[in-house]
Amino acid sequence: MSGADVLLLALGAVAVGAGALVVTTRHLVRAGLHLVVCLGAIAGLYLVLGAELVAWVQVLIYVGAVVILLLFAVMLTRAPIGPADDLDRAAWPAALVGAGSGLGLAALFVSAYGWRAVEVAEPGTAGLMGDRIFGSWVLPFEVVSVLLLAALIGAIVVSRPDIGAKDAKERAR
Amino acid sequence: MEDLNLPPIDYAALSPILILFGVACLGVLVEAFAPRRARHPVQLVLAIGGSVAALVMVVLERNTRVVTIGDAVAIDGPSLFLQGAILLLGIVSLLLIGERSLEAGGPFVAQAALTVGSEKDNRQAQGAPGNTEIYPLAVFALSGMLLFVAANDLLTMFIALEVLSLPLYLLCALARRKRLLSQEAALKYFLLGSYASAFFLFGVALLYGYAGGVNLQQINEAVAASQNSDILLYAGLALLAIGLLFKVAAAPFHVWTPDVYQGAPTPVTAFMAACTKVAGFGALLRVLYVAFEGVQWDYQPVIGTIAVLTMIVGSVLAVTQQDIKRLLAYSSIANAGYLLVGVVAQNREGVSSTLFYLVAYGFTVLAAFGVVSLVRDADGEATHLSRWAGLGRRSPLLAAIFTFLMLAFAGIPLTSGFISKFVVFGAAIDGGQSWLVVAGVVTSMIIAFPYLRVIVMMWLSEPAETTPTVSVPGWMTSAAVFIGVLATLALGVVPSPLLDLTNDASLFVR
Repeated sequence: MSGADVLLLALGAVAVGAGALVVTTRHLVRAGLHLVVCLGAIAGLYLVLGAELVAWVQVLIYVGAVVILLLFAVMLTRAPIGPADDLDRAAWPAALVGAGSGLGLAALFVSAYGWRAVEVAEPGTAGLMGDRIFGSWVLPFEVVSVLLLAALIGAIVVSRPDIGAKDAKERAR
Repeated sequence: MEDLNLPPIDYAALSPILILFGVACLGVLVEAFAPRRARHPVQLVLAIGGSVAALVMVVLERNTRVVTIGDAVAIDGPSLFLQGAILLLGIVSLLLIGERSLEAGGPFVAQAALTVGSEKDNRQAQGAPGNTEIYPLAVFALSGMLLFVAANDLLTMFIALEVLSLPLYLLCALARRKRLLSQEAALKYFLLGSYASAFFLFGVALLYGYAGGVNLQQINEAVAASQNSDILLYAGLALLAIGLLFKVAAAPFHVWTPDVYQGAPTPVTAFMAACTKVAGFGALLRVLYVAFEGVQWDYQPVIGTIAVLTMIVGSVLAVTQQDIKRLLAYSSIANAGYLLVGVVAQNREGVSSTLFYLVAYGFTVLAAFGVVSLVRDADGEATHLSRWAGLGRRSPLLAAIFTFLMLAFAGIPLTSGFISKFVVFGAAIDGGQSWLVVAGVVTSMIIAFPYLRVIVMMWLSEPAETTPTVSVPGWMTSAAVFIGVLATLALGVVPSPLLDLTNDASLFVR
């Protein structure tokens, strides 16, 4: 077992443990903070595997933006800050589905690869990623921006306040 | 550092997709700068004009057969045909979406997120001006569909899937009446749709592990020669198929369909029933025929079973429906089953018959939902079947049109429904799948019953006090219904031009 293997196992254990805490804790805010640990550990996994850019993007987007957004949502709504009993529903069905799919996928990978190592052709450096994104994947990359634009418009359509209502009232007068 | 190698791009072949993306972005700018009064006509002209321009480009490029832009997009016979079909059906749907004369303020509300039943919400249901962002959203969805049927690698396909789905989730939430149903439909579609997308994505990941790439050709080569475990291939294919079968509403991934079709604004339902179905089946055909041809004998029985299940679920549950939109939703599920029969046939006739079926069904279902949007009372559309009793006495023309469409769904000769079922089943027999044809014929007989019940109800029942009035349609709905009925009749009487076209268009480029 090399050092990288030990690191992978340790980070994986941290990620799984933190993930379990996210769904079992009774504090909403703590769940968000456990999520930081979980996502951070996954970023560490990427780093060990040599995908440095993916790791930093994971930190930036998920640990940075998404969790902060989550905590802001907790702050801005009237979510309970202390321990709350009504966060939990019956846990068994969820545990069954989660454990079932997790174990099923694990079994799938074990039976597919056994315990042999798979060689990765090149490490996922920023240079390589840039080359691929703007080389072979330029169309999907551009279409993602269209997707984001559509999502932006959609968010406005669904949630906008009553634009122009004042005009209508004035006209009625 | 060496220079970046950009892949060669065939702009002419991509132009229909690019035109629609551009038109959608222009539509967003129109929202920002055009005065409120002018927005609706400008947006409508822009959306329909853009679609027509894209259609013209599809026709001009009809002989193009290329794989372009880094192997991400394959412009070939099926994708050009499907793009043309999506654009034609999309233009007719845009006519339905653009109708403003049936209801004060149009069929869409401006604020989808208001609490249902609140004072503000009641006010907006009573005729506050609706929003016009639906046009850019619908065009985004259309452009996503065009890319979806042409995508040559699974990553592009996934992103196109999202581009077409996201606007549809939103459009579902905008119905003017029955706001709660509409919001429920949007949320349900969004949650289940994201779940299906996750399945698709996981399938892509497994297939990448198997083939070392997500390009359809690469997967095809890997199926023939890869040393990796076949478990990755089958699990990946299964997850991928779940994502796609969800979009085309095949059982057992159909549960969202009735609720969403009922809750969404009727023009949007028509759009989904016609265009999304074309796009979903187009992608399914491409994935199964191009990437997984090598394992067709393994997946054929599975997809065949799903087809039988879909036909049975759609037709049996259609019998019990009391709401015309839910009835049409279950009919759409059953039709997905018939289309799967063509997909499973695994020969050239299978592809061409599926293409024919998609176009024929699309026009019929557009006209049917167009008629549904006309039968109204004070609370909006009267969709409960009991309200349709005696409609033939009140407005014979409309009832006659709807009768014709129902007969087309049931597959009576001289309608496109008969020809399309005939070619699909013929292809399946040639492909040695007669068990599917038996199931198809039996379920066709079952599902004829609810169609005939609607007809009997319209003509033979006495009109009750509460029989709704039939609104005088504006020219746009009239045009949409007229085009739909004409296509249903024409494809039933002289199907050979379109059949020849689908035959020429049924070869995938590799």
